[in-house]
Amino acid sequence: MDFGFNEEQDLLRETSRRFLAERQPVASLRPRIEAPDIFDPEIWRHGAELGWTAMLIPAEFGGGSLTGQPLVDLMVLAEELGRVLNPGPFVGCNVVADALARSGRDLQAKTYLPDLAAGATTAAWCLSGDGAPVVSAVEVRATAESEVEAEGGGTGDGWRLDGVSRYVHEGSSAALFLVVALGEGDRVVNLLVPRTAAGLSSRTVTGLDLTRRFSEVTFDGVRVSAANEVPGGWDVVERCLAVATVLQAGDSVGAAEVLFAATVDYLQRRVQFGRTIASYQAIKHRLADLSMELEGMRVAAEYAALALGDGFDDAPEAVATAGAYVGDAFSHLCGEALQLHGGIGFTWEHDVHLFSRRAKANQVLFGDGSWHRERLVRLVEAATGATGEA
Amino acid sequence: MDVDVPAIPESYDRYRAALRSVIAAHRPTLVWRQRAGVRVPDLAEDVEKLRVYARAIYDAGYVLDRFRTERGDPYEQRILEQELSAAGVPHILGNPLVSGALRLFGTDEQRASYLPAIARGEHIWTQLFSEPDAGSDLTGLRTRGTEDGDDFVVVGQKVWSTWAQWADYGYLLARTEPVDGSGGITAFVVDMRTPGIDVRPLREITGTTDFNEVFFDEVRVPASNIIGARGEGWKIAQASLIEERSGVGGGAGGDPIQRLVRVARQHRRGDGAAIEDGAVRQHLGLLAARSRIQRHLGQRIATKAARGEISAADAPTSKIWWSELNLEISETALALQGPRSLATEGDALSYEDGRWQDAFLYARAWTIAGGTNEIMRNVIAERGLGLPREPRGQR
Repeated sequence: MDFGFNEEQDLLRETSRRFLAERQPVASLRPRIEAPDIFDPEIWRHGAELGWTAMLIPAEFGGGSLTGQPLVDLMVLAEELGRVLNPGPFVGCNVVADALARSGRDLQAKTYLPDLAAGATTAAWCLSGDGAPVVSAVEVRATAESEVEAEGGGTGDGWRLDGVSRYVHEGSSAALFLVVALGEGDRVVNLLVPRTAAGLSSRTVTGLDLTRRFSEVTFDGVRVSAANEVPGGWDVVERCLAVATVLQAGDSVGAAEVLFAATVDYLQRRVQFGRTIASYQAIKHRLADLSMELEGMRVAAEYAALALGDGFDDAPEAVATAGAYVGDAFSHLCGEALQLHGGIGFTWEHDVHLFSRRAKANQVLFGDGSWHRERLVRLVEAATGATGEA
Repeated sequence: MDVDVPAIPESYDRYRAALRSVIAAHRPTLVWRQRAGVRVPDLAEDVEKLRVYARAIYDAGYVLDRFRTERGDPYEQRILEQELSAAGVPHILGNPLVSGALRLFGTDEQRASYLPAIARGEHIWTQLFSEPDAGSDLTGLRTRGTEDGDDFVVVGQKVWSTWAQWADYGYLLARTEPVDGSGGITAFVVDMRTPGIDVRPLREITGTTDFNEVFFDEVRVPASNIIGARGEGWKIAQASLIEERSGVGGGAGGDPIQRLVRVARQHRRGDGAAIEDGAVRQHLGLLAARSRIQRHLGQRIATKAARGEISAADAPTSKIWWSELNLEISETALALQGPRSLATEGDALSYEDGRWQDAFLYARAWTIAGGTNEIMRNVIAERGLGLPREPRGQR
């Protein structure tokens, strides 16, 4: 039993924390929180050197994990990037890299993975639009076509994509999209689409989360070669969803950790009625509760990374637990942090709203808490016999 | 990172089989009905039967690590704990908290005379810590031991002592030194048959009698019965409490969320089974998540303990998390039963013979005992987060 990070992972954490503190502290985002772009590809390329995009990519394609547990390595990074509210497409790049590495064809892996690993290009996962991540919510149709131009030249069978995918993180800067589409009879097809494809356009959504940019990506008769289908159908989507849930949970843990520490620190300095407000038991007990929630978030996220990465039998329950708890707890913590800060927390200049806004996004992307709770109940039901002791 | 508990090798199958046959041969049939929590039999005959059972297990060579000084084979210990719990009757009689104190602070002679006797059911122990005016503020306890020759003469009153009505020995904290607070407290072994001790069983909200009041009217306790040194009682109690808290949690009856799913299948809500109701499902989903997180908190604490990185907030976090979840699970089970939740043990209408109603009432023992959850929150805030300590008033 060793449910904790090892020395190599601690070192990875330290390296990324130092780099981010120097190059991208939260304060550095301020000038761009209202700008159309906030993502800095230069920082991303440096991050790639620190392993941000490499863990789930095999060594032959320029990747490689730190330990034998790439998802646990990535959890370290997710937490660190969350701590500084990093605007980069960490989840999208790793989800697409994972799909290509696990399910992609050789040529697909060879074509796209090296640039992703190097941080030279970024990728986005286009799941769906509104509502839960389910088949019926997919709004991109794939119609079979012949005489589609292949990327390497020549023509052959392929698809025509029409429809829209919304709230795609960094959809306006990604070079590569993994698009979930519905073919004939609602068969799920996962297609790799380069940004340069004719008929693909994107629009950045004016958003609640000021630390990241989400786009509406429109496919208007986009032609995609059959060679660009990542085989596996909805199973690929499920896997992507699980990886995304876990990494997003890590992001929430890191961000929550920083905001909680800042809140504790502020309350120990703020004096009212001649004493620090942290000396009031009403405040202390709220902080104790938040400390417990934070610990709960942490173990839920980290166990999910371990279980999913190592293929435990209870991986589906572990991922659902992270999804059911972490996003909502993060959002709750942000609300408490704001309230405990009082008036200063209500100002634009204070960072608490940046955390709170990010929490609101993490709470609803890749299935909200209620969706994951329903999944968890189904898993428990399936494991519960009709009678007798469990 | 790993959470593997090594599988018990097949070579231990014989150990398990032999243990099972010993348990099967000696497991008593009791009049006393088993309930969730730390519960105490109400009939002397049942207590005697349990003593005979514990003795048989001990005489066959099976002893838990907590009752001996050298550690046993870890696989055998795991099998022993599994099989003894599966037997469904208590295998430890009394409150065994003193075993940690004796192992860490007792003399060799004390260890030799008391530890095996607990294991073989010969000595039933009770804990004599809390007082009517010293609950959360335990260092304010007022039971006093006054030195008189080779003895201390103890005067005072204790409360919330489980098993005291059947106890042979007590693990007592009393004030012996002329200083206030924790430094004045000494830990003693007390023979519960000493003249001057009056045990009065307390009936609790469950309707059962699992705790007692204990009165001390000039009770003579030999100075040789001190555990550790004079004035060390608080330190000793803290050390044994920490050891005890690591064992809190779990509980019989399998995964509690699966049990709730079964309750929800078997009761109606609106036009269908409760399990089909969206609000019910959401609530069960959240409880399921919190229940799994409880397990992961335990795995994290075990890891921190092995690495020597335990923080003051860890045990209280786990205690609050578990006790509040446990309470909510029983409340949920009652809510799912609807009006039927009014029927309790012994009534033909009751569900699972009222086990959930009893569990609901008893759940408050866990949110209060072992340090109330409010005190636990103070510990997290003050010792975990470094916030200012609560101001102390006059005693």
